[in-house]
Amino acid sequence: MKKIVAIGFVGAILFSYLLISAADQPAVEQEPYDEDAYGPEALIVWNEPVKGVFFSHQLHTMEMGLDCESCHDDLFEMEAGAAEGQDDFTMAAMGDGMYCGACHDGSMAFDVNSQCASCHQQPEDAIVWTKPVKAVIFEHKTHSEDMGLDCESCHDDLFTMQAGAAEQADDFVMASLYDGLYCGACHDGSTAFASDTRCTTCHIGVRGYARLMGEAETPAHGAEH
Amino acid sequence: MKINELATLKAESPDTLPSAERRNFLKIGLAVTGVYLGGTVLSLTSVVDALAEGPVPSSGKYPYSPHYTMVLREHLCIDCELCKEACVKTNNVPSYGYRTTILERRRDIVGGEKETIFMPVLCNQCNRPPCVRVCPTTATWKDEKTGIVVMKNSRCIGCKTCMAACPYNARYFNEETRAVDKCDFCWESRLSKGETTPACVEACPADVRVFGDLADHNSRVFQLLHTPGSIVWVLRPETGAIPNVFYTNA
Repeated sequence: MKKIVAIGFVGAILFSYLLISAADQPAVEQEPYDEDAYGPEALIVWNEPVKGVFFSHQLHTMEMGLDCESCHDDLFEMEAGAAEGQDDFTMAAMGDGMYCGACHDGSMAFDVNSQCASCHQQPEDAIVWTKPVKAVIFEHKTHSEDMGLDCESCHDDLFTMQAGAAEQADDFVMASLYDGLYCGACHDGSTAFASDTRCTTCHIGVRGYARLMGEAETPAHGAEH
Repeated sequence: MKINELATLKAESPDTLPSAERRNFLKIGLAVTGVYLGGTVLSLTSVVDALAEGPVPSSGKYPYSPHYTMVLREHLCIDCELCKEACVKTNNVPSYGYRTTILERRRDIVGGEKETIFMPVLCNQCNRPPCVRVCPTTATWKDEKTGIVVMKNSRCIGCKTCMAACPYNARYFNEETRAVDKCDFCWESRLSKGETTPACVEACPADVRVFGDLADHNSRVFQLLHTPGSIVWVLRPETGAIPNVFYTNA
């Protein structure tokens, strides 16, 4: 349900953007959208390897004037979800000119390593890490909307966007933060509160994790007597 | 005056007595609860701990050797519960009970935000343990050497009176052993076998739990409890149990 809402939300933004564009160029935009000529009207949504990446056929074909053959089938198979299944469907591969990177190279179209939010949706749910300890949360919204940080403030120098990547690293520990890695780049006591203070701001613990996952709290033995 | 007339006398406030005078009584372990006839008759009650020194015993007043103590640096606890996991594994604690657990509370902080505080709890190995006092079969007692409150399962009849008496909710009835079980600072599972720390202390990644001998002035527990300017507290001091588990944010 949440995903549908998220898609609807992004869709609404895009739609209103198109409306504004339509107002600028009424003659061009009056043309009815022809799926046979321009591809699926609905946004393509990828959820692998990261959740919430959007592609609009309309923007690329109808507005930018690309042919179907510009991308199909050399860069992308037409079959839905085909790209998602590929191990190399990553930002690194795109940087090497694969997939979107064929055009999004910084000259033909904006570089794949810029304007992340043009395609990537910022995760709405909190990021929850359960390694090396259970559990730590990070809210994108707090940092981007409330603090006004860009995606580039953390991605990809401090954190790759790939979900769970940091958890796999051996150095994803408090000691690294004290050395200025990961969250410690800002949470150093001057830019933001120091990493060795206010522990429970991010550490929600086993109890917090259970609540987040909607599990019933473990009953205390005191309940029985 | 007849003795039965005393009962009908109206009590004056203890405040009518000078505070220095009340303090003199406190020094001999008595609190003034009522004043009659302008101070010629006093109503007194004994107080368990009338000293103003706080929950940490004065240097040199540790009855046990080693005087096992745990200091919990509360602000560092992140409720990862690795301590609980280690305890369960080490002491075969069933899922319906615990020897140690983490409590949670929230408080308002500046900026309209909330702060979570995690509080590890366990048996406080009290110097005056209420559980020991109420046990009808002497199945639990305070070890004369270490001060650890220990259990002898074969003597336990499962009356659970100790569970009701414990101010810290630190005991549970183990269905498998048919006896009440509790934290013994891992005495049986580790300390008696030559280890120097309980399993929970070993498992804590945040250095929350510090264990040691309070009688040893070089021990970390002594240092933590006697750091200049630090605040140390115990849970439920009003019970007079004199716990040996201390809390600090140092």
